[in-house]
Amino acid sequence: MTQTSVDEHKSAWEAQLLAFEDSQYLGTVRRLLRGARRNRLVISGTILGLIVLAAAVLGPAILGSDYESQQLRNIHQPPFSIADLPDQTQHFYLFGTDHLGRDVAQRLFVGIRVSLLVALGVTAMSMILGILLGLVGGFTGGWRDRTIRGVTDFVWGFPLILVAVLFAGGLGEGLFPVVLAVGLVNLAAIARVVRGEVLVLKEREFIEAARAGGFSSGRIMFRHVLPNILAPTFVLASYYVAVAIIAEAALSFIGLGAQPPLPSLGVMVAEGRNYLQVNHWESTIPGITVVLMVLSVSLIGDGLRDVFDPRLRHEAKGMES
Amino acid sequence: MSEQDGANPVLSLLNLTTTIRSEGHTFDVVRGLSLDIYPNEIVCLVGESGCGKTMAALSVMRLLPEAAEITGGSIRFKGRELVSASERDIRAIRAEEISMIFQDPLTSLDPSFTVGSILKELIKVHRGGDNASATELALATLVEVDFPDAHSRMGAYPHQLSGGMRQRVMIAMALALDPDLLIADEPTTALDVTVQAQILDRLAEEQRQRQMAMLLITHDLAVVASVAHRVAVMYSGEIVEQAPVDQLFADPQHPYTQGLIHALPHVSPRKEPLYSIPGRVPPPQFTPPGCYFAPRCPYAIERCWKDHPPLELDGGRLLRCFNPQAFASL
Amino acid sequence: MRRIVSRTGYMILILVLSSIAVFYAIRLSGGDATAAALPASTTAEQREAFRERLGLTAPIYVQYFEYAGRILSGDLGNSLTNNADIGDMLIRHGKNSLILGAAAFVLVFAIGIPLGIWASVRRNRAADQGIMTFSVVGMAIPNFWLALLAIWLFASTFHLLPSAGCCELRHLILPAVVLAFEGIALTVRMTRSAMLENLGQDWVRTTRAAGLGEIRVIGKHAFRNALIPIISLAGLRIGQIVGYALVVETIFGWPGLGQVLVNAVLRRDYPVAQFFSLVLVALVVIGNWLADLGYVAANPRLRRA
Repeated sequence: MTQTSVDEHKSAWEAQLLAFEDSQYLGTVRRLLRGARRNRLVISGTILGLIVLAAAVLGPAILGSDYESQQLRNIHQPPFSIADLPDQTQHFYLFGTDHLGRDVAQRLFVGIRVSLLVALGVTAMSMILGILLGLVGGFTGGWRDRTIRGVTDFVWGFPLILVAVLFAGGLGEGLFPVVLAVGLVNLAAIARVVRGEVLVLKEREFIEAARAGGFSSGRIMFRHVLPNILAPTFVLASYYVAVAIIAEAALSFIGLGAQPPLPSLGVMVAEGRNYLQVNHWESTIPGITVVLMVLSVSLIGDGLRDVFDPRLRHEAKGMES
Repeated sequence: MSEQDGANPVLSLLNLTTTIRSEGHTFDVVRGLSLDIYPNEIVCLVGESGCGKTMAALSVMRLLPEAAEITGGSIRFKGRELVSASERDIRAIRAEEISMIFQDPLTSLDPSFTVGSILKELIKVHRGGDNASATELALATLVEVDFPDAHSRMGAYPHQLSGGMRQRVMIAMALALDPDLLIADEPTTALDVTVQAQILDRLAEEQRQRQMAMLLITHDLAVVASVAHRVAVMYSGEIVEQAPVDQLFADPQHPYTQGLIHALPHVSPRKEPLYSIPGRVPPPQFTPPGCYFAPRCPYAIERCWKDHPPLELDGGRLLRCFNPQAFASL
Repeated sequence: MRRIVSRTGYMILILVLSSIAVFYAIRLSGGDATAAALPASTTAEQREAFRERLGLTAPIYVQYFEYAGRILSGDLGNSLTNNADIGDMLIRHGKNSLILGAAAFVLVFAIGIPLGIWASVRRNRAADQGIMTFSVVGMAIPNFWLALLAIWLFASTFHLLPSAGCCELRHLILPAVVLAFEGIALTVRMTRSAMLENLGQDWVRTTRAAGLGEIRVIGKHAFRNALIPIISLAGLRIGQIVGYALVVETIFGWPGLGQVLVNAVLRRDYPVAQFFSLVLVALVVIGNWLADLGYVAANPRLRRA
């Protein structure tokens, strides 16, 4: 009778409701990934980054990585030109030649590698060490924390260029002081942020629950705290990678970083500055490359921040009751 | 109490519909809400969280979040239509004729200004005048709402005050300009139990003295029982029952109301588990095809799943139900 | 008040520690100071004698105290390259750097804050998108390249402004703008984000419910709260300007402290490099200290009852 059909309605309805709610719910990681995939910033940044990366990796393989040899007969060739070499062969100059007849494209690809090595490589190491320091400091407290905090608070606020110049003053020119400076400042900044996050997380209930469950400090630190701090750390690291790229280029430009003939992008811009009227691409192209690299990293960082951001909290907040 | 005989309502919501647009989804949180509030009475709007009562209140004041907007119906205040009123007119009405106090006093006051300066700013913007007269009125209002040591505490920042004190500041802000209607959205929910009673008493006292209309939004039936004159029960964005407070508690007609009352903890010689209404409030994006309460209703019939029951007037009360049953009270 | 004293004490401690750190950093490679000052033909004994004269043979900590003593008593030493008095150099070049730095600082906030506020008010609309795009790109452009671009455009091509030199207003414009550029982009973002965060707070609703107009809500209340991180940012910006000035001064030939330091490092002029490193580091430390103080002063929530 009506009662059974009412019951049917009810169970049908509940099944539909469950299905609807399931469709709304995605596991956290999947939700984040979906957000990341959909986010326009991340997409454009990644595309840009991949282009640059491809250039660095494939470029030398395709075009060669001879950044030194000079063809004085072919100086100031424009991009996309073809010129004769002394041995009667022809050479295609993708980005033209510079004031010494060197292939700008080949130099560019090597330069990109230098920048990436310094920025990404060093930052990656700083991230690992920084996270470690931050975890130890934030978690254990006491004198360890105070020391770590004292040092990082001091170092992180320093302009990277100044620190590099200081080291250059002591160690002479070259990439090593730059690497040292980048490593140090990034390390301090990341450690500081991680420590802050750990302090906040420490107060949250799930940590207390883990302790109550008898887990050791080390285990709590790595399995429970670490995943939660990774998000802001990545965002911060992306910012510092961008800063490192610019700093390395700037230092090479003023003569303190990579030394000629090593074609750091900064060096290339510096060498071309006197020929801007004749051959602007010698400076312009590496300059644009730096911009693209930094843009790519910044966009990815921004996109990641949007994805991890409790901005979603704002929308939820307005909707309650 | 006061009532419908002869007097015109101060606030009249007719078929109000408010919609939210978010991340590609569009759904109504207030659906065809109709409610009248008369001068000199306290009307309580009751419902669980998520039923849309705050959204309804925000709609009146045009304080909806960016993603929400009024998409239908009318809001008449003292005869004026508010839905189509200009931003400037609404601003003039706020605090002066209709004022609102919010739930969480911790986050509801600008942390960078002293409570005194916030109050004075409000007074000066609406009434003009100099610092002295604004201070005078601010002080008088703070004293009236039992704000302790008003004179010296006026220079305090919100974070330096307790929850109860902050709420009193908000009440002072809401009453300083003597509005005709006060909307209070869960004013005591975030406070300690002892302070709750004080605040409620103060609100009821102010209403009596100023003879203003008050819309009190709450999910707590105890609050309703202690101060309300009339009660409107809300579920899933619409009113499902409305009655004078005594009648509502003595003879609840809508199954949802009965469930709420049944769920109130009470002292009883028999030991029994606390009752709670089975099921959950449906999400606004996905509502049942007929009556919204049907999935949880013990008296649901076939019709409840097919048609949406209208709100019907019956002897001074309103009810939205196809199959009401008497309340088997304990 | 107690907080101010403790932050100041901390700052002084940091200054002392920094001076030690800089002192050691300069001597990291055990570098040979004589390489800069003496021609290549000098013999080993002559170099040794020279070093002894400069006091470089004593143990390092002794050197440090000796140096600290001299500095504090006003004897700053002389440049190894041209024997100029370092004190004179400080005053001359310091003045120039101050002018450039101050100009850039003002530009950063005079342009950055209004743009940031405007972007936050017109959120997600055309103005906001435009401003944010400019900001993201602006932060990606390395200032040395921007400098070259500016020189090429304004100096070489259109001959509107000089490409280098000192010390009139027309010499100041390009370097100041280039120095401020990245700061403007960053300030725009921070201001916008601070404003948006505040505009999303509950108390904004209360303020509107009080019948206050949008201009007041945004310009007075939201902005006052957004000022808290902005002031902190301003202090940090001092340090950043010091850092970037090294590059900008060099490119534009603006004779400031940065240019002096870079040249000194390139030429291995130890006394100069050391002293001006200290000066610049001190400026950064003071800037960060001001940022700390500013944050506390601007945030009423940090005041006790």
